[in-house]
Amino acid sequence: MIPFEYRTPKNLKEVNATLQEFGSDAKLIAGGTALVIMMKQRLVRPSCLVSLRSVRGLNAIELKNGGISIGGLATHREVEGSSLIRRRLPMLAETYHHVATLRIRNMATVGGGLAHADPNQDPPPSLIALSATIKATSVNGSRMIPLDEFFKDYYESVLAQDEIITEVMVPKLAPNTGAAYIKFLPRTADDYATVSAAAVLTLDKTKKTIADVRIALGSVGVTPIRATAAEAVLRGQPLKADGFAEAGEKAKEAVDPVSDFRGSAAYRPSRAGKSPGGHSSAIES
Amino acid sequence: MKFSQTAQIPVAREPLWNFLMDVPKVAKSLPGVESVSKIDDTTYEGALAVRVGPIKLNLQGKIILEEQNKDAWRAALRAEAKDRMAAGAVNGKTSMTLKELGANETELLVETDVNILGKIGEFGQPIIRKKADAMLKEFVENIKKQLTGK
Amino acid sequence: MNKKIKFRVNGKKVEAEVPTNRLLIDYLRYDLGLTGTKEGCSVGVCGACTVLMDGDMITSCLTLAVMVDGHDITTVEGLAKNGELNPVQKSFIQYGGFQCGICTPGQVVAATALLKENPKPNEEEIKDWMMGNLCRCTGYYKIIESIEKAHQFAK
Repeated sequence: MIPFEYRTPKNLKEVNATLQEFGSDAKLIAGGTALVIMMKQRLVRPSCLVSLRSVRGLNAIELKNGGISIGGLATHREVEGSSLIRRRLPMLAETYHHVATLRIRNMATVGGGLAHADPNQDPPPSLIALSATIKATSVNGSRMIPLDEFFKDYYESVLAQDEIITEVMVPKLAPNTGAAYIKFLPRTADDYATVSAAAVLTLDKTKKTIADVRIALGSVGVTPIRATAAEAVLRGQPLKADGFAEAGEKAKEAVDPVSDFRGSAAYRPSRAGKSPGGHSSAIES
Repeated sequence: MKFSQTAQIPVAREPLWNFLMDVPKVAKSLPGVESVSKIDDTTYEGALAVRVGPIKLNLQGKIILEEQNKDAWRAALRAEAKDRMAAGAVNGKTSMTLKELGANETELLVETDVNILGKIGEFGQPIIRKKADAMLKEFVENIKKQLTGK
Repeated sequence: MNKKIKFRVNGKKVEAEVPTNRLLIDYLRYDLGLTGTKEGCSVGVCGACTVLMDGDMITSCLTLAVMVDGHDITTVEGLAKNGELNPVQKSFIQYGGFQCGICTPGQVVAATALLKENPKPNEEEIKDWMMGNLCRCTGYYKIIESIEKAHQFAK
């Protein structure tokens, strides 16, 4: 690794001051599990690492306005193990459980993972399907960004260089709602997915018609993708298997995959098309 | 990795050909090219900066013009470049063919075979195809601006 | 560029000035001479470099030494107390939980962390927890057996 400064500001004000001092060559680091690999490979060469590890009060997981607020510095393990999340949003706890290994989940933070904007990660599809919003904070104040508008390109988000993800807000689920996350794996359980899919589906009062649905896919393009056409096919329709088959076809059209060693671009749409069907059974059960 | 791309350019074939054979001019139209200098009639030296998310690559290397066949409206070049800091290199071959579509309309067919080596490859292989598409799009826009003033 | 850090390793206080780009695994092995921790894949996948930070498993190959400032680190050397191996170590010996040994420090540290949370894990729980500890010799059966039976050695 190329030598660099390492600063440990104690609060957001100090973080911002350090970022100002080093300009665009500074990088924020929290758990560091993704960034350190890139630095070891010399793909990223910051002049200064601004550690968020000494900033207090950004790792709470709590009820807020009926939904759940997750601090940006909460670790993946804290989300996975949170009794509040396990009780209210078991699908989200399960999603974070699927990320890499325990070692990584003990270090990697929720905000850091999202800011890394790797399209192969597990949490983004689930959080997009759950209508999550992130709070980005800088010296200029804070702004709320819906997660489905957050990812811009391969490893790029709409975050400005001096913005920090301080909170992820997941709204309360409507009544009669089910949620599921499914990951197709190429090799081992701790790997990135070949294709992953998350769906949140709400039935109307009769419990026979789909009132609303949100579907998001991972590893199928340069960003996580929301399958809006597939959602439209299902919305307002009775809960039937052929509806899911049609939605699966629409999901295939939504993807724009890249080839890598976890699956070719040609193979991935077929997997993406399978996912909503798989979800239907998960939701009904 | 092999891939081909096509673009329609609202310029007649002859002036487009002449433009494309002027390597320094072409280089200036390519996004990310920082410098190009001529070594001899068919060899050029240059630097290219590519940015993918947090990753900035500074590629330095050579471009060798291997084929210039105006009868067939076909040219080919080879490029070899290394990043100064990251352990990695890019070697590639590109051929360009011009097809006349109309008096002021030419189709540019670009066929590329590129190898990305080392750490850059591990990270960049999946994305190179998409970055190449974005680069060609911008390149075509730049050519249009330069040759048609639009 | 250097930075002063204070932390504990296997209960002993360490105060040192470390280069900011020093990885924890290199600091432990080369500066502190704690060569029990092994480096396998260098990208956080194989688990050979597992150490505990405040009781939680981390990959020392992806952790900067400066990041452990103020924390408690436990390496495989810190598992035995007063010259007596811990239950996991005894069980690995008794039930043959290793062959070549390179992955063993990581396996033993990870299993120790598991037993702290779950003193009598079943096979599924062991597999889920130990997923990120790769072994190229044993086929894992002996490792799983050793962990499953480690509670026998607990006092």
